[in-house]
Amino acid sequence: MRGFWPIFKRELFAFFVTPLAWVLLTVFLLVQGAHFFLLVDHLSTVTADAGDQTPLEAFFGDTVVLYLVLFLLVPPMTMRLFAEERRSGTIETLMTAPVSVPAVVLAKYAAALVTYIAMWLPTVLYVLILARTGGIDLHAAAASYLGVIVVGAGYLAIGLFMSALTRSQFLALLGTALVVLLLFLVGMGEFVTRDGTTLHDVCVHLSVWSTMTEMARGVVDSRRLVWGATLIVLPLFGTVRVVDAWAWG
Amino acid sequence: MTAIAVDKLTKRYGTHLAIHDVSFTVPRGSITGFLGPNGAGKTTTLRILAGSLGKTSGTVTVAGFDVETSSLEARARIGYLPEQAPLYPEMRVVEYLTFRAELKGVARRDRRAWVDEAMEKAVVGGVRDAMIGKLSKGYRQRVGLADALVARPEIVLLDEPTAGLDPNQIHEVRALLRGLGGAHTVLLSTHVLSEVEASCDRVVVLARGELVAEGSLEVLHAAAGSFVVVLRGEPEAARTVASAVADVTRVEASSVDEGTTRLVVHLAASASIDPVVAALVSAGMGVREVSPVRTSLEEAFRALTLTDKGDETGASS
Repeated sequence: MRGFWPIFKRELFAFFVTPLAWVLLTVFLLVQGAHFFLLVDHLSTVTADAGDQTPLEAFFGDTVVLYLVLFLLVPPMTMRLFAEERRSGTIETLMTAPVSVPAVVLAKYAAALVTYIAMWLPTVLYVLILARTGGIDLHAAAASYLGVIVVGAGYLAIGLFMSALTRSQFLALLGTALVVLLLFLVGMGEFVTRDGTTLHDVCVHLSVWSTMTEMARGVVDSRRLVWGATLIVLPLFGTVRVVDAWAWG
Repeated sequence: MTAIAVDKLTKRYGTHLAIHDVSFTVPRGSITGFLGPNGAGKTTTLRILAGSLGKTSGTVTVAGFDVETSSLEARARIGYLPEQAPLYPEMRVVEYLTFRAELKGVARRDRRAWVDEAMEKAVVGGVRDAMIGKLSKGYRQRVGLADALVARPEIVLLDEPTAGLDPNQIHEVRALLRGLGGAHTVLLSTHVLSEVEASCDRVVVLARGELVAEGSLEVLHAAAGSFVVVLRGEPEAARTVASAVADVTRVEASSVDEGTTRLVVHLAASASIDPVVAALVSAGMGVREVSPVRTSLEEAFRALTLTDKGDETGASS
């Protein structure tokens, strides 16, 4: 793992000295803030017996806002990781230093993941606000955040892989967005395929939507976690192979 | 002691043969010029040495380590400056060099001193807190040079380190290069011949992906000879006759005065001028004077790297 730590630090630095990170963070918090406001507003006007959702479920679960946010957030976060270095040629100075390929890949990934988690941190305030004004299931809150991290980590790994495939940041952005969208649509298949068919089972199993909905209720299913881990490990492994392969081009 | 050993190196891109069966060695502590026209395979070879490109066949050993099977050990002993000196524009010079030193495994307690030393050697101390993206080409090149030196590598590989610099900067870089010999082994790719004469004690010459010469600078000088031949006859006719002789790489013809022509005949490695004189005489041109010209490095370079004499014979009248 030689080279992990300095590359990790540099990637974090590179992300936060560019305006992109701050734009993304601002948009992210604006959307989440508006979402929270609408949610609280909605829950305060409906009659008690009409609400069949907890606030957490509505924030993390059956909502399209979360996916919209992930869809807009992840591709621009990961697009530059390898594509920019290849276009500018810095990848050559990086790879001719005594560093191992897995260290480079994991360092870049870890930096993106830490940034992603840092973006979610301010939303913990919402949980605290809710906890002050009413009861909140802290177990479900923790499960929700676990879900957000697992799904985001998978998306980031896909983004990293896409960034390694091309010199063009734009193509990396496009590729990531497409795969993320495709994953979401496969999950939506749960609602359009007939119960009992194999296709339906596959869709249910692969559904990011159901994963988040379950976790927002506090249900942590190990099968969901295995699927999340697959979404992380497979693209990372692919990235290592792709980076290895450049030298033989 | 051998610092770099390249044995039967071949690199193929699809059907294109970039490097074919190249073997050479670089002795420890020497400053070796890596010469060749553009497209000769210099950068490809350097990238294979630096470990950023795989080879098709052959073996490459750097500081005693095979660049493929002991890649990390080899890379830890190399300082490499790629052609464009790629750098991160959003970092300050000192930040970048500190990052590179850490990446190359320089211990924390030495890092500051070694970074300062590299900045001093490459003369970039004056811009230590400047953003790399705002630096001129010359400064960026020297930051790249400081990066190549920062971990005090045994072997320094430089791909055209003076490309794009102004004459003052070139002078500074050359002075720096001369100071590197002994402590470091330097392999310096260039097509600027005065650079080789100014800084190097050995040369390796590539052309069309093949090795054409290796050794001291004298190898280059001895590799090709040229002669001035003064004769009675027309320039065009004399040039045609002389060009047709085997081993003649290039002929320049000029008219001295009415009916007298001055030829400069460039010969391939260790060829004799006699067949040229014989051919001219038998073509009815009276040869008045034959005298050798001490070959410049440029001429030697051209003689070594050009084989297709047809497109390079040109009259200068």
